[in-house]
Amino acid sequence: MSRQKKEIDQKNDIVISVNNVSKTFKIYSDKPSTLKERIVFWNKNKTERHQVLKNVNLDIKRGETVALIGTNGSGKSTLLKLMTKIIYPTEGNIKTVGKLTSLLELGAGFHPDFTGRENIYFNASIFGLTAKEIDARIADIIEFSELGTFIDNPVRTYSSGMYMRLAFSVAINVDAEILLIDEILAVGDQHFQEKCFAKLNELKNSDKTIVIVSHSLESIKKLCKRGVWIYEGQVRMDGEINKVIDEYLKVCG
Amino acid sequence: MREMVNNLYAYRQLLKSNVKKEIRGKYKGSFLGILWSFVNPLLQVLVYAIVFPYIMRIKTKNYLIYLVTGIIPWTFFVNVINQGMITVRTNDSIIKKVYFPREILPISVAVSGLINFFISCVVILLFCMIGGVGISWHILFLPLVAILQFFFVLGIVLALSAINIYIKDTEYIVQFFTNMLFYATPIVYQISLFPEKYQRILQLNPMTGIISAYRNIFLYHQVPVLSDLLYLLIVAGIIFICGFSIFKKLEKGFAEEL
Repeated sequence: MSRQKKEIDQKNDIVISVNNVSKTFKIYSDKPSTLKERIVFWNKNKTERHQVLKNVNLDIKRGETVALIGTNGSGKSTLLKLMTKIIYPTEGNIKTVGKLTSLLELGAGFHPDFTGRENIYFNASIFGLTAKEIDARIADIIEFSELGTFIDNPVRTYSSGMYMRLAFSVAINVDAEILLIDEILAVGDQHFQEKCFAKLNELKNSDKTIVIVSHSLESIKKLCKRGVWIYEGQVRMDGEINKVIDEYLKVCG
Repeated sequence: MREMVNNLYAYRQLLKSNVKKEIRGKYKGSFLGILWSFVNPLLQVLVYAIVFPYIMRIKTKNYLIYLVTGIIPWTFFVNVINQGMITVRTNDSIIKKVYFPREILPISVAVSGLINFFISCVVILLFCMIGGVGISWHILFLPLVAILQFFFVLGIVLALSAINIYIKDTEYIVQFFTNMLFYATPIVYQISLFPEKYQRILQLNPMTGIISAYRNIFLYHQVPVLSDLLYLLIVAGIIFICGFSIFKKLEKGFAEEL
């Protein structure tokens, strides 16, 4: 009885479960997008298939901080996009439990003509927050971004650093249970980077699940306990971060 | 379906700000601003009010009000289709980068169309009062008919916005069809112009029933025909369910196809 319960508890503790996932992209040499092209060139559609992920299995538990490492084009970002449900697997399935926020590209959905403040509302609503919830957080978000009075200027007048600071501040303050981050630890200047790092550390210790794709091995060594090495679309190694990075550097470094 | 309701509730803020953007953003920067959404159909009414009675010699009692009660609901229909069809395509940048329930996009177009329509009804009422037709309690049926029309057009737009991602021609084909449908709906003429046999065919067009229901409400001060409403309910239900399942089926490929 108690063993059964323990098993259920363990099952519930897995917040991201990737089961036998494969992803194939179609590569059109010339993509038919109109009806005429579809009909006239119906037999000429050269579609190459490019398999990015092959039979990936991965379970991530609540509260874990996991780094995905690998060379360019190994499929890390595709895996992250699959977890976010922006794209869907060709085979297999992915289940996530709880509210999920992704930082794949900073400032997605920012409207250049709107002010920083208006964009906070719009961006946070894309992450599924209500107006009340945003009201409660807006002071924190503005403070974290260090934009000061610039917050009421249109976003198009921002420097790229300011833009990224705002985007990062929104994403990190929406209180998601799962945070997916793609190569953005290099946000802003040294001071802001350290602040982001501290914030991520704080989130890590507060039962949030974080998955990071990054090439800056030194910083993820400090942040993560578990590393997953994706090599040519497959999980090559999964384990303690230092061991995984050592092995990775031996082969790819 | 239940998942959609839950999703919509969870993302209600996004829906709200999208609807606002849809209503305000469309005419942003133009001199008359949001007034264009009333001026446009009225100019259309003006054209038909000149063309049909004088050139085509159509004689209908209260023809001006007859036109207004036809054209304003038609504008609701055709605007939602035209804007909704391209809404997924024009929002490609967020679709590729963030997850959110994709159906929010066509739904906000349809909701903003519905709100616009309710505001336009004030214009219809003004015409009724000035034209001497007056207003009666039958106006209570207005929300019912408008909601039936809403689900009918939402179903169409869900399907079209998704198909348009895969086949770009959809936009042009649909424009042709809506033009045809305009003349297959008794908007500028009366259905009694045709022999019984053809009237039956015209009755199959849901827009015929919708517009005649509005005319009963505003112009003739009658209860809308029950069988018409039942037919509308069934058609709107089927179209909505089909459109929704087409959208759900196709949405998984949006980020890759865009």
